[in-house]
Amino acid sequence: MRAMRAVSGSAGAVVLGAILVSTAVEHSRVLSPAVSATRTITDIAGRTVLLPAVVNRVADPWHANNGMVLMLGGADKLVATTAQARKQPWFRHLYPRIDQVPAAFDEAGDVNMETLLGSRPDVVLMAYGGALPKWLAAADAYRIPVVMMPNTSLADLKTTALMTGAVLGPHEAQIAAEFVRSFDDNIRKVAARTTNLPTDQRVRVLHTATAGIFTVDGQRTVVDDWIGLAGGINAATVAGNARAVTMEQIAAWNPDVIIVGTAPNRESRNAILHDSRWRQINAVKNRRVFVNPTGVYLWDRHSAEAALQILWAAKVIHPDRFADLDVGLETKRFYARFFHHTLTDGELASIMNATAP
Amino acid sequence: VKRGRALLVAVPVALLYVSLFVGRFEVAPRDVLRILLARLFPLVRDWPASIDTIVMQIRLPRALMAVCVGAGLSISGAAYQGMFRNPLVSTDMLGVSAAAGFGAALALLLGRSAAEVQVIAFLFGLLGVTLTYFLARTYRTTPVLMLVLSGTIVAAFFSALLSGAKYVADPDAALPAITYWLLGSLNGASRQSLAMILPPIVSGTVGLLLVRWRLNLLALGDEEARSLGVRTEWLKAIVIACTTLITAAAVSVCGLVGWVGLVIPHVARMMVGPDHRVLLPVTLSIGATYLLLIDDVARTATASEIPLGILTAVLGAPFFAYLLRKTTGTWQ
Repeated sequence: MRAMRAVSGSAGAVVLGAILVSTAVEHSRVLSPAVSATRTITDIAGRTVLLPAVVNRVADPWHANNGMVLMLGGADKLVATTAQARKQPWFRHLYPRIDQVPAAFDEAGDVNMETLLGSRPDVVLMAYGGALPKWLAAADAYRIPVVMMPNTSLADLKTTALMTGAVLGPHEAQIAAEFVRSFDDNIRKVAARTTNLPTDQRVRVLHTATAGIFTVDGQRTVVDDWIGLAGGINAATVAGNARAVTMEQIAAWNPDVIIVGTAPNRESRNAILHDSRWRQINAVKNRRVFVNPTGVYLWDRHSAEAALQILWAAKVIHPDRFADLDVGLETKRFYARFFHHTLTDGELASIMNATAP
Repeated sequence: VKRGRALLVAVPVALLYVSLFVGRFEVAPRDVLRILLARLFPLVRDWPASIDTIVMQIRLPRALMAVCVGAGLSISGAAYQGMFRNPLVSTDMLGVSAAAGFGAALALLLGRSAAEVQVIAFLFGLLGVTLTYFLARTYRTTPVLMLVLSGTIVAAFFSALLSGAKYVADPDAALPAITYWLLGSLNGASRQSLAMILPPIVSGTVGLLLVRWRLNLLALGDEEARSLGVRTEWLKAIVIACTTLITAAAVSVCGLVGWVGLVIPHVARMMVGPDHRVLLPVTLSIGATYLLLIDDVARTATASEIPLGILTAVLGAPFFAYLLRKTTGTWQ
């Protein structure tokens, strides 16, 4: 049996096991030369997953994580992706081949099993929010290993980067470690000036999630994490992503800063600035309504560019405290280093305004 | 009769007034009063501008919207139940909701603004019913059975398209937006959106009130009505046009609010009987009151908004079940 499943009780052991990939290559070679080399990884759901020693074909049903794979230098290994990952304008700009990668997964993460089998993946990378995908049994039956990775906080993002790197191979693992170092550097840089801020100096931030209908991102989300890190307080007291709230509730929260997430950001920002119902809200009075940048993926979500999001958010939330921070320069450095692309000023503006390149 | 008439107006107006005092934002009742009076008399405005916005820009348009939508959907439902001679008919009979729902989902999928979503949903609603009407037309007549079947076809078609739109929608952005929209909410209410839906809803409602006594004849059946000198084809076309204007406008601003158009006419019928001359105005008043009450709960009960569609059905379904048991399915 190739796909062995075991449940580990200790959460600490899970994370440790996830990052330390044990190699069982030599043993199997000695015992039976016909069996190709394998290794195991413990995923975040506590499952022990058996992988080929060398992973060359990756299926990624997780929109944001496709950008992570691209950043880690493993995009050439993508054999199946999602329709939404293919639609990201900046992803297509940096990696046009994504158009040829079949979308084996729909927007909700459900699989087209035939497309997936046809793509002959060595491994499927999947986000884990507490529930295993319903197609897991089918994947097991076809002996397709599925690795579950966490996705609910900034700390999870680091785990995801390391796990993705570990699955892809030594080269990608090295870049993942480099990314986590740079991410930690950015966190330290911001935290040094925000951790000790008393509550009354923290800025009340509201992050909107969808256009057309008014929804906001609440407590216990990635968004909540970076708002707190950047010296703000999430004005939304509801819990979870994309919660619908009333106009009057927003007025009662009275945020100092509003960050508009999800396309069409600029139009949504203008709608907020010109709506009489919003006029008395602090953020609108002081014109502190901002478009959230979008690059290879949405910066504000569980994406590689969250490393830049924390810098950008710090600058937007506390411009005086981060006067010396040049987010544009940091962004150019990050893209040059991790996406091997030198941003022109026009391209930088497109990312900052969340428009297509 | 006179007292009854006064109540029809007084109850919704009183509730509208009370609605301005409830909400998530703390506004002292005294300030609400002064803000309202300041519109009529020159008062010293010593209250903060923010609470003026709450009362005049947020609560008032939303409450007025609830009145219009509740009244419009109810009277449309009553007119359809009469015209189709079927108590289980509601306003989405001819596919208006399904078509408008698809229009809105499409607009949300394309990331359009709230105002554009409204316009597109409204136009799709009109398109859906137009398709139904011409599909049902045979030899210059539109028999009720043909209308019902055509409505079913058109509604099924647009429902399928709507499911398709949900299927391809991005689960982080467009999908929750479409889901919330379909559950219904008056959160989009503003002076602008109110100005947009008032003309179709008011003209549709006035139209239905003007033909209400002829609806009694239509309820006898097409042939009987014709023999009594009613131009049934014209009358049906007028009723369909009026209800479609109302429903498409209502759906375009507040999504799919079920049950109002189905249950409220029955409540009214239990109170005043099936005579459309009385039934329609009473339905109008009860519908306005009902949705206003429901929306007050939706916007104040919790920090996150409770979708209207959930509340109207949760309260509407048991009532309808009770009604069904009590009348054992018979009508009139």
